[in-house]
Amino acid sequence: MSPKKDVWQGTLALMVLKTLEGLGPLHGYGIARRIEQTSGAQLVVNYGTLYPALLKLEQEGYIASEWGQSDNNRKAKFYKLTRAGRKQLAKEAKEWEQTTSILDRFLSPGEEHS
Amino acid sequence: MRTLRGWLTRITGLFRKDRRDRDLDAEMQTHLALHIEDNLRAGMSPQQARREALMKLGGLEQTKQLYRHRRGLPMLEVFFQDLAFALRTLRKNPGFTIIAILTLALGIGANTAIFSLVNGVLLRPLPFAYPDRLVAATTYYPKGPFVVMRDRSRSMEFAANSDATELNLTSIDTPVRLSGSSVSANWFSVLGSRPEFGRIFRDGEDQPGKDTVVILSHSLWQHRFAADSNIVGRSIQLEGENRLVVGVMPPEFRFPSPKTELWVPLRLDPRDIGDYWGSSYMPIIARLRPGATIEQARQELAALRPQILAAYAWRMPDDSFIKSSVIPMHEALVGDVRAKLIILLGAVGLLLLIACANVANLLLARATIREKEIALRTALGAGRWRIVRQLITESLLLAVLGAALGLSVAFYGLSALKATLPADTPRLADVAVDARVLIFAALLAVFTGLLFGAMPAIGASRVDLTKALKTGGEKSAASRTHGLSRGLIVGEVAIAAVLVIGAGLLVKSLWNLSNTNPGFHKDYILTARITPNESFCAEQGRCQSFYRDLLERVRALPGVKEAAAVNGLPLSGAWETIPADIEAYTIAPGAHVPMLMERIVTPDYLRIMQIPLLQGRSFTEADAAPSSQRVALLSKSTVERYWPGQDPIGKHFKPRWLKEWWTVVGVVGDVREDNLTRNVPDWIDGEMYTPFGPHSIAGRGPEAAPAEMTLLLRTSDDDHLGLGAELQSVVAELHRDVPVSQVATLSGWISEVVAGPRSTASIFSLFAALALALGAVGIYGVISYSVAQRTREIGIRMALGARRQEVLLLILRQSAVLAFAGIALGLISALFLTRLMATLLYGVGASDPATYFGVAVLLAAVALAATYLPARRATRVDPVVALRHD
Repeated sequence: MSPKKDVWQGTLALMVLKTLEGLGPLHGYGIARRIEQTSGAQLVVNYGTLYPALLKLEQEGYIASEWGQSDNNRKAKFYKLTRAGRKQLAKEAKEWEQTTSILDRFLSPGEEHS
Repeated sequence: MRTLRGWLTRITGLFRKDRRDRDLDAEMQTHLALHIEDNLRAGMSPQQARREALMKLGGLEQTKQLYRHRRGLPMLEVFFQDLAFALRTLRKNPGFTIIAILTLALGIGANTAIFSLVNGVLLRPLPFAYPDRLVAATTYYPKGPFVVMRDRSRSMEFAANSDATELNLTSIDTPVRLSGSSVSANWFSVLGSRPEFGRIFRDGEDQPGKDTVVILSHSLWQHRFAADSNIVGRSIQLEGENRLVVGVMPPEFRFPSPKTELWVPLRLDPRDIGDYWGSSYMPIIARLRPGATIEQARQELAALRPQILAAYAWRMPDDSFIKSSVIPMHEALVGDVRAKLIILLGAVGLLLLIACANVANLLLARATIREKEIALRTALGAGRWRIVRQLITESLLLAVLGAALGLSVAFYGLSALKATLPADTPRLADVAVDARVLIFAALLAVFTGLLFGAMPAIGASRVDLTKALKTGGEKSAASRTHGLSRGLIVGEVAIAAVLVIGAGLLVKSLWNLSNTNPGFHKDYILTARITPNESFCAEQGRCQSFYRDLLERVRALPGVKEAAAVNGLPLSGAWETIPADIEAYTIAPGAHVPMLMERIVTPDYLRIMQIPLLQGRSFTEADAAPSSQRVALLSKSTVERYWPGQDPIGKHFKPRWLKEWWTVVGVVGDVREDNLTRNVPDWIDGEMYTPFGPHSIAGRGPEAAPAEMTLLLRTSDDDHLGLGAELQSVVAELHRDVPVSQVATLSGWISEVVAGPRSTASIFSLFAALALALGAVGIYGVISYSVAQRTREIGIRMALGARRQEVLLLILRQSAVLAFAGIALGLISALFLTRLMATLLYGVGASDPATYFGVAVLLAAVALAATYLPARRATRVDPVVALRHD
């Protein structure tokens, strides 16, 4: 259970960073909604797990938070990507691509060996 | 790197929790509000919208909790919570807290004080450069062998120092006797010590003619020379000779002894055969050269031995110095006191165990009171481990508070220890509470807290909820912990028994030592050291007439019945050794040459000291005349050794390096010269007495008597105080420049000799007394508590007709069982443990039955006394009240 949880936390962080890159500064609820939409509701994520993940990213300096006004003038905490976050996003995205392409070659039916 | 930043940020998350919690609340509220709006827009009813939003969040409280865990350091926060709770609990029970803290302060403080001693004397490295490269020889050597070793050793750089050299400082108003050391020219550089000002001795300064230099100690420079900044380059007059001051050592350099006030070079003069090869035996130190090991050094010393023997001015037996080896210098310095300090450390450790047992018992008693509280917390969801952690935090807090108070106990205790231990204990002056000692105290506090806290905590946390939450639940806890409590008491009593037995054996030893017959009579004798310059006696007969006049005038003083002089008092550690050839005694091949110690005395000495004359005659004034025959007296064991069964009167012996023979004219009783348990040291074979005059052997030069003597006065009564000053003036009248020093009564000297065993016995006895007191308090506590628990039962018994007597006996029997079990266990343990202190005992076996029996009786009495009050309280129980008590 535990290693899966770590992987899950890692991917969640990556999704958050990517979302913030694409959409700019966003509040917690908005990030949660967007992740749900983008992943096609396959990851029925408990929205509550997002907040500790956001905090971790903030503690590590990849995102920064600021209180601001939402669309309907509600006071909300907005998160935005920092420069370090951008670099980390690029790095992790590249790692994921490499991992998936290697696995892809393993897992696709052996076309070379036919 | 990022994770580090993450951790550091989490530490800041420990602070300003209120504000952060408010922020978190606000963020959560906004999240829910936004979600609910969306839901409403999607068509749900308000209740549905809210419920769906909460479910999708995954629970508000859980989310907040997860967030908080990520924000701070949960483990640390829980610990602080436990700590705050523990502090509150302790404050609410001041009585318990105070007793526990005082008990722990005593135990931890005493241990810290003794550990400071062990650290300062045994553990700390010597204050020299690369001290683990310094070694020392296990036997003393005279100057000649030292020079051979110095010149030829490849693995070591040898240096030597005299044990103590005493010199007169003249050229100031009152001549003063200073304690110093003669050292080889390379001695300071072998140690690697640097002077505060000036320089150390150079090579070659220990040759005659080049050795008129001196180095001062820091305290001498301050006290006698007023910290004169121009002291280097000035001359001072020592023993009538001018010496140039070339350096001053720093204040922390106190070697070879704290009493050393100055250093002069050794005089290495091969022409003075007696001194060079025969009589000045010195301790030898060395520094291992780079790359050499101590094993190589040992082998080399063995290889040098035949070369040393070959260099001797006369033939030495083949096995001379054969037992000599090389040991680390640290070992040589502190080896003697190591056993004693370790034993004290063991004893104080046992005391701490008793303190822990007492505090554990206190905790056990409290645990039953708190059972309801613990049951409640368990019912509310606290895991068992959480409760145990909480209780252990309390114990640790107690231990830390006890240790903090214990530090002041340690400071005072250490000063008291330093004052009690004999002043010649090596390195004693530098013992202090330093960083290592503080770390030890901290670790000891943690260890102690866990020791006395663990079991009560684990026991208390095991709670049967239903029983505990009902009324009358105290009984269940009480019965559970009762067994543990009793076990602790038995253990305490056993340990106390061991300590009291140890103390008893030491005290008995001390008594035996103090009352051994030293071979002479010590009462009513005043002694003083008279030390004219050595050059004084160069002129023939001058010393003799000086002392003759002195003795005459001193006899005329009021209160003085008799007076005499001797070259050194028994047990003073000062003696001359003469390698001798003994008539009609052939040295067995390979055996060592007979070494005799020489006491140079005036005729009245033997009578004043009441040393019995067993055969022949004693000395008279005539024996001191230059024209008389060379005569000597030998001690009984000496004649028995070399002329067994023969008449010693008229036999002869001579010093190896001289041609003349001495004649034995009398035999006297043995005297304890070395220490109270031994006549002469291992490496000396006998004792001789020679008359003060031209025919004494170890005088300076072949025809001169020694210059420095100890004066003895037998007085008619105890009033000695005035005589010291009168003695000074008598001497000053005779000669201006002669210092009088070490004025003391002979019995005072003798009691100095037992200072070591006396200090051990008193410190150990203190621990034993404390152990007894703590044990008594422990028994009192446990029995009181038990009586309180059994109030109902006692009430029932009395209601059913039991008399006060029976109740009393009931309680006493309960205590008696514990006490006897403890005493029995203690006596058996003592049989094994006291064997470890056998080296400290004299005249007493480690299983001395009288002591064991006495201690058993004492402990039984103490246990009885401690039980008496609670037992009496039990008899006062009013059955009516008791039966209502629940």
